[in-house]
Amino acid sequence: MNVILTTLRKELASYFYNPVAYVIAVLFYLFRGVDVQALTESMARYGSDLDLYTTYYVFRPSSNFMIVLVPPILTMRVFAEEKRTGSLEVLMTAPVRDVEVVLGKWLAAVAFFAILWLPTLPLLWGLSTGPFLDAPLSFGPAAAAYLGLTLLGAFLLAAGCFTSSLTDNLLLAALSAMLFNTAVMAGPGLAQTFIADQNVPAWAETLLEQINVADHLTNWFARGLVDTSQIVFYLAGTAFFLFMTVKSLESRRWR
Amino acid sequence: MIRVENLVKHFGRTRAVDGISFEVQPGEVVGFLGPNGAGKTTTLRVLTCYHPASRGLAEVAGHDVRRASVPVRRSVGYLPENVPIYPDLRVEEYLQYRAALKGVPKRERRAAVEHAMERCDITDVRRKLVGHVSRGYRQRVGLADALVARPPILILDEPTAGLDPNQRRRIKALVRDLAADHTVLFSSHILPEVQDVSSRILVIHRGTIRADGTPQELLELSRGRRLVVTAALLGADLCAALRGMAGVGEPQIVAEEGKYRTAEVPVDAHADPRDEAFTRLAAAGAALRELRLELPTLEDCFQQLTEGADEAQAATSGDGEEAA
Repeated sequence: MNVILTTLRKELASYFYNPVAYVIAVLFYLFRGVDVQALTESMARYGSDLDLYTTYYVFRPSSNFMIVLVPPILTMRVFAEEKRTGSLEVLMTAPVRDVEVVLGKWLAAVAFFAILWLPTLPLLWGLSTGPFLDAPLSFGPAAAAYLGLTLLGAFLLAAGCFTSSLTDNLLLAALSAMLFNTAVMAGPGLAQTFIADQNVPAWAETLLEQINVADHLTNWFARGLVDTSQIVFYLAGTAFFLFMTVKSLESRRWR
Repeated sequence: MIRVENLVKHFGRTRAVDGISFEVQPGEVVGFLGPNGAGKTTTLRVLTCYHPASRGLAEVAGHDVRRASVPVRRSVGYLPENVPIYPDLRVEEYLQYRAALKGVPKRERRAAVEHAMERCDITDVRRKLVGHVSRGYRQRVGLADALVARPPILILDEPTAGLDPNQRRRIKALVRDLAADHTVLFSSHILPEVQDVSSRILVIHRGTIRADGTPQELLELSRGRRLVVTAALLGADLCAALRGMAGVGEPQIVAEEGKYRTAEVPVDAHADPRDEAFTRLAAAGAALRELRLELPTLEDCFQQLTEGADEAQAATSGDGEEAA
């Protein structure tokens, strides 16, 4: 426990020391500002039902930047850099267990990912008051959407930790995680369109529905629908990649 | 404190360590000496649980490195070869972090860090970023890290590599100072360093232990002891006088100056033919100018144990073994 907390604290601090994090934050908030502005304007113009505002608020086009591109940038250095500089030797010869180090580093990434999203919360509250929308918004769907976002973030960050543990090349770690994230976000949807008019077994269709992450987010979580099987899917995926990361760290002992 | 038996480690086809055995007793300072690529770092990494051994036993502080890796790592302070440390932390922060990681309780952490910094004489750079301090300081930050949890055993990999002579002297003094309350195993490829600091030397070459003993014992083991005699005698007479003593080889005239000749006679380990040589030369009625037993330096000894051994091997096998 002590090792996990110590690692978490140190890694979280190093995100704040790193200028890259601030560049990401600026880009994200710029994008997001434009996005929310467009959403608010169009809803006002077409007199849409403001009850749906929170449903559309969390997953904007800018969210894809935060889901596909940012997690790999956050996790690319966690192991690859330690391997490159050799500090992994210093770390792993301290009395620590591999799993504690992996959990500490992953939790720090999840925490920093959550911190990046944090400012979007008071903004939503601010929009509901004053001169902007001036309407009571339903916060339930937003809460569910943030839950889905956290689960997905934890999953993709675990995958990023894994790719980082495979190499000492930061760029390779980031790019392969981006590739994975793209496949996760767009793959099932694309596959569904391809097989739409084909004669495919029913189980394949069910499978694609079950793993369609983009669909989970916009049609389930964002509408306030929380499905246990989806939660299990993200948690299992996260656990799988964390396990693989531990094994990958251990693999230096097999050689 | 440290026990290694028949340790073998290979990486793919390369045998980095080939069946070495040695022991380090509590309170000893043991120098692990060998040329680059001899298997020093690999052995130290096995002892610090970074790499597992391919075969053989390694015990540190009574724990098997394979079965009880965490207790082993808890009792060892390790300084790796290049001291790779996070450049974006301040010296003090880095040591705080390491102390926490090594399980130093929160109440004692500040004192432990202070103590380690004072011991390694780095209090003046405490607020500097680790990435900004000089190499000598970085080495000492690494040493402070090894010390911070007060482990009974220190394993130091090339603690003086890449330092200038002044920094090297300070590190040596520090290691000597640490020896008072730690068991120390440190590696080096520089002989005088090991000679100055350690109470015992292990010479490793091509993955095997070539010698194990105090510096004095190693000197006695090595060839190169010789009797040097300068006397006013004809060459043949001088050689005849020196021939046939216990434990000596064939005399050779090496210099001639006026009526004096200088002869050198190889002498076996432990033999001391000085008294007998004097008696014989006195009996021959020769004016004796010089009579001394010349000991090999550790440098000679190291050279014999490593390169010399290779040459001997190459000579017997008929071809160089580089191809192997």
